[in-house]
Amino acid sequence: MEGSVSIHRHTAAPFHEYLLQGSVVDNSCDVLLNRLRGLCDNAENDYESFHDHELVFALRSSTAQNNHNQQVYFRVRHSLKAPNAPWHLRYVGQAEVGDKTRHTLVRTYVDVSTSDNVVTFLNEMGFRLDYEYVIKGYFFHKGRMKVTVSKIFRMLQPNNVENLEPLSLSYLVELTVVAPAGQELIQDDMKNFAEQLKPLVQLEKIDHRRITMM
Amino acid sequence: MGVVCVFPYIIPEGKSGLQVVDCLQKQVELLGAVKAGTFCVDCETYQSNFSNTTTPQRLVHILHNSEQPATCFAIVDTGNCLVADSQFDILMQRLKGFYQQRKGFKIESKGQRYEYGDFLIKIGSVLLASSFKGILLEVEYYPCAYLGDCWNLMKELIQSVMGNVLETPPAFLKQKFNSEYGPSDTIQQYLEHFNGFRKAASANQAR
Repeated sequence: MEGSVSIHRHTAAPFHEYLLQGSVVDNSCDVLLNRLRGLCDNAENDYESFHDHELVFALRSSTAQNNHNQQVYFRVRHSLKAPNAPWHLRYVGQAEVGDKTRHTLVRTYVDVSTSDNVVTFLNEMGFRLDYEYVIKGYFFHKGRMKVTVSKIFRMLQPNNVENLEPLSLSYLVELTVVAPAGQELIQDDMKNFAEQLKPLVQLEKIDHRRITMM
Repeated sequence: MGVVCVFPYIIPEGKSGLQVVDCLQKQVELLGAVKAGTFCVDCETYQSNFSNTTTPQRLVHILHNSEQPATCFAIVDTGNCLVADSQFDILMQRLKGFYQQRKGFKIESKGQRYEYGDFLIKIGSVLLASSFKGILLEVEYYPCAYLGDCWNLMKELIQSVMGNVLETPPAFLKQKFNSEYGPSDTIQQYLEHFNGFRKAASANQAR
């Protein structure tokens, strides 16, 4: 126990998330799931599913003197399948596309497990709910790579996770690795893995800024 | 964990804080308690510096307890306590434009930790921006989760070491007597005392 006082990690640096994205239409989803099951760890088990509710909160300020609008988004996620599991509070930075030598998107990523009062906590801090959705899907692991195949549902009434409508006729496919800053080599592994999933799904680095401009 | 009572120890006039801490440590050792490392509870306070119509000015206190080394406690001044992973500190850094750390407000209680059978006794020196402000004692009784069931036992131990203190339980604990005790309750007791020390310090400065 001696020296335990210095355990606190006040100065811990944020992690980076390396990310590739793609999508697959509903009809082809099963083929992709089978392929992933074969490629990923624990092939002998049935693939694991998740069913989450995600709420995105924004903290905004409008300082009159410089007319400069600042905002920060925090994402709250909790499982609808396992109500006793901890809630998650996440911060995801702006995704950087980088140049051609970079195979994936890179963004700052902080994921913190919290108690279940996080929504009231954020509201009291001044955050306001921006939008929310329900996400259902499957996840796979291959080493430290994570693959999720998920469907996003629009909530027809606020705060009602039963009354849903699918956002599209396809599944979102994401290949991610969360690692400490500076582990650029992981991008090569991700690129190679993405190659193995072609032509079932094209995983690419998608420029989010271009989508928001459209 | 069990149930915990945190309370200040008044330093008698003419004695220094160090002397009193030494004296308390000797008393606890005489009782037969065994040294079991050190402990630290720290608190930093952030103040909101943004204006929007719906939120009044807010304080957020970020606390850590070496007893729960992977946890960070965040308490809004409304009293709502969020229990989170220690990486919550990084999230606070992301809010730099909205919440700023109050300078010279870092306060901590640290010192020796003793085990005595089913009890854990901690003798903490309170440091506000590295200057000594007082003594906080913490007594934990492991085998029980409800304070109402073991208050008299704890009181007996506390009074046998520290004399006639705590005739009645602190107000915060009174309302917790019949609910299950958790780590965030300990943190809230510390925060209450820390705020007291900070108020006293700023009142002294103003004088």
